[in-house]
Amino acid sequence: MYRPLRKLLSSSKKVITREEWEKKLADVKIRKEDMNKLVMNFLVTEGYVEAAEKFQMESGTQPDIDLGTITDRMAVRKAVQCGNVEDAIEKVNDLNPEILDTNPQLFFHLQQQRLIELIRSGNVEEALQFAQEELAPRGEENHAFLEELERTVALLAFEDTASCPVGDLLDVSQRQKTASELNAAILTSQSHEKDPKLPSLLKMLIWAQNQLDEKASYPRINDLVNATLEDPVT
Amino acid sequence: MPASAAWARPEELVESLSSLDNTARLKALRDVKNQIIGNKTKKLSYIKLGAVPRVVEILASDTEVPLLVQSAAAVGSFACGIEAGVRAVLDSGVLPHLLKMLSNGDQKVVEACARSLKMIFQSTLAPKSDMFQGHRMELIIELLNSENENVAEVAASVLARCCETVDHQQALADAGGMQSLLRLLNASVKTREAALDALGALTKGNKQLCAVVMCMDQGRSLAMIMKLVKDKSPRTRLLACACLANIGKASPSSFQHEWEMRTSMLRVLVKLFDEPGPVGEEAPGVVADLVASNEELQKVALDMHAVEKLGEFLRKAALPSKQLTGVLSALAELCSRFQESRRQLLDMQVQARIIAALEHDCASVRAAACSCIRSLSRSVRNLRTSLTDERLVEPLLKLLNDSSADIQALAVSTVSNIVLDFAPHKAVVFRCGGVSQLIQLSQSMDPILRVNAVWALKNLMYMSDKSLKETVMSELTFSSLVDLIFDSEEKVREQAMALVRNLVYGDKDSIQLAIVQDAVLLHAVEKQLHVSTESEICIQGLYAVSNVAAGSEIHKEAVMNILIPETPMGVNGNTSLLMRYLQDMSNPQLRVGALWCVINLTFPGCPGLAGRISRLRNAGVEAQLHTMAEDPCLDVKDRAKTALEQFAAGEIPSR
Repeated sequence: MYRPLRKLLSSSKKVITREEWEKKLADVKIRKEDMNKLVMNFLVTEGYVEAAEKFQMESGTQPDIDLGTITDRMAVRKAVQCGNVEDAIEKVNDLNPEILDTNPQLFFHLQQQRLIELIRSGNVEEALQFAQEELAPRGEENHAFLEELERTVALLAFEDTASCPVGDLLDVSQRQKTASELNAAILTSQSHEKDPKLPSLLKMLIWAQNQLDEKASYPRINDLVNATLEDPVT
Repeated sequence: MPASAAWARPEELVESLSSLDNTARLKALRDVKNQIIGNKTKKLSYIKLGAVPRVVEILASDTEVPLLVQSAAAVGSFACGIEAGVRAVLDSGVLPHLLKMLSNGDQKVVEACARSLKMIFQSTLAPKSDMFQGHRMELIIELLNSENENVAEVAASVLARCCETVDHQQALADAGGMQSLLRLLNASVKTREAALDALGALTKGNKQLCAVVMCMDQGRSLAMIMKLVKDKSPRTRLLACACLANIGKASPSSFQHEWEMRTSMLRVLVKLFDEPGPVGEEAPGVVADLVASNEELQKVALDMHAVEKLGEFLRKAALPSKQLTGVLSALAELCSRFQESRRQLLDMQVQARIIAALEHDCASVRAAACSCIRSLSRSVRNLRTSLTDERLVEPLLKLLNDSSADIQALAVSTVSNIVLDFAPHKAVVFRCGGVSQLIQLSQSMDPILRVNAVWALKNLMYMSDKSLKETVMSELTFSSLVDLIFDSEEKVREQAMALVRNLVYGDKDSIQLAIVQDAVLLHAVEKQLHVSTESEICIQGLYAVSNVAAGSEIHKEAVMNILIPETPMGVNGNTSLLMRYLQDMSNPQLRVGALWCVINLTFPGCPGLAGRISRLRNAGVEAQLHTMAEDPCLDVKDRAKTALEQFAAGEIPSR
């Protein structure tokens, strides 16, 4: 008597039915306060200050950071997102001068963003002067900066910047990238984690499911947005 | 364009810093600050334009909060990242003003000034001892208890830089710093890390303060630090390990589950090697502290591939001084005992990098490189195969004149190792004037330098040729060597006796050195053998004498005269040096040394053999040898039998 190998393998895995699984899930007690903390952590880290205030009132959850600092941080982020980099620099320097003084890469990226904004506004002469006076010395200090600077200055060489090879620098996503980097640095300076905890929890969920897949068949969550349980594969 | 005056002429801006109009002054100040933050070029150019004294003047004489905050921030930025900036703000006399402002009623002013202070204290130029004048230290410690965590954090990081001497550490602890710092371990990440950093600085090499941390709050503080070894933040892990390594070094059984704790710290630290930035740079140095003189832990480190990982650092391009020091120190510790570690490191072919580090600008790098070479050179096999590079010798000899006595001592003991048994290195040392340097150091007032220098000369003499020995003696002089034989330090006396032993070992010319100049060396050794009570010194002396006894008839006769002197009343066996040491039951090595003298004096085929045998027999030596043939020490027993055989053979008249 022989059975196909695949059959043999799959049958060697333990099958957990939906009912069993849901019962097990129901047995796990998660405190409401902990869930609320996770939500608050997300709101605070991502800078949703109004939502955080409302959530605080409704749930009584204390934010792990002074909500006032979120407003400052969001003002900085917004300034970058609007292309107003000098304004952002002044604001962050008022918040804590150490941030840009001890973070050369971030400082360079902000200056680079300033240059991009000058180029975007068609101010070629000023852009060149700025690149030479402010950015070139940074390029001398660090080779990686020099390459990025060259890429940025290349924008000036194209008539149609939108379709040129370095056109991505003019994209909104570039502002977004710079804004995020700055946001993360401010959070770190405030002893706060730069990423919310929720995404890493999701990563852990995926990891745990992958581990479990080798041993058992169970109602998996494939759709993370709705967290629907799939039927176990038998 | 927004309000920023990025394009205003710098000269005008600097001028406006002294404007009589408050608004204009504030604007200029903000503009300068925003231009220099993150920008070294701008900092330098504003320093040249004389902006710093004007900024400091605002801090000194203004009272409006925004002006004070902005000027403190500008001072901090000038001092951040460039030495010229630190010098400029200190030269402008900023320190007293900053300290005064720490008691300002406005929290923003206090925070800005505290931050500036932190920047200044990150530099090596910081006036650390100035902080111990008056009540300054109390003031900073008070800030540790500030409601504002940012202020507490900067206060802790200033303190972390103020603990360079034991006195500083003690003053800080006496002012109550320890309790406040330990309390901050419960604060948020950055403050906690600054506190741990300060605790590390306080406990470094300070047994007393380590004991204080251990006992604080019935050990709860220590338990807290132990928990932080597994913290999520890499920097916290590093600093917690550094604290515990200090504590572990100060007292060998300082915490529970000692062994598990140490191995898990080691694992954490080795993983931190890969961390970017300061954490990865500092981790090797902490490993060095952790595994120092702990052989088992060094073994575990070897199993964790720590040697290879550290060696990899050396293969990379230039490392920051602090990291290079840590890497080399850790390697020095790991290679101090285990040949396997040494082999792994040498197989990586990083010798040239280590040798180059001997000439590094930074003293701590030179010291670490020297320790590393010393550890590697503890194996003669390595010297002959992997450390043959002659370029090694010259920088080492240069370190013999280093401005730091610690480095000198390290260098001497390293030279000691490399000249032991490798003729080419001996020759280079000789050619480069190393011998003269060692001889000079042998006259040093510092006892450690003296021991190490005599040690090195002793090793240099080992199996050397006649010309080298003669040159050394003509420069060292017989009378200086005699002085060293009677040095005030026991260790120096021992090494000087051993030097004589190596000097007079070998051919007739070498042995002759013992009896030239009225046998001044032989007599000095004889005198020590009479008066010394330290067996190590006497063992070296007996071997020196036995080496002379291996020489010609004249040499043997000279030895007979000191070991079994003939008095007008005949030979008195009981009071002779030889019988005394043959009968010495305190240390078998003394008996072995004395037996070698007998063996060499009764060596078959020498003309005066019969006379010597009869003189030895009359002194009761042969009877003593029979007793010794039953000695509990195997070595003694064998030698005694050999000597007896030679006595028996000596009976038969030579044909």
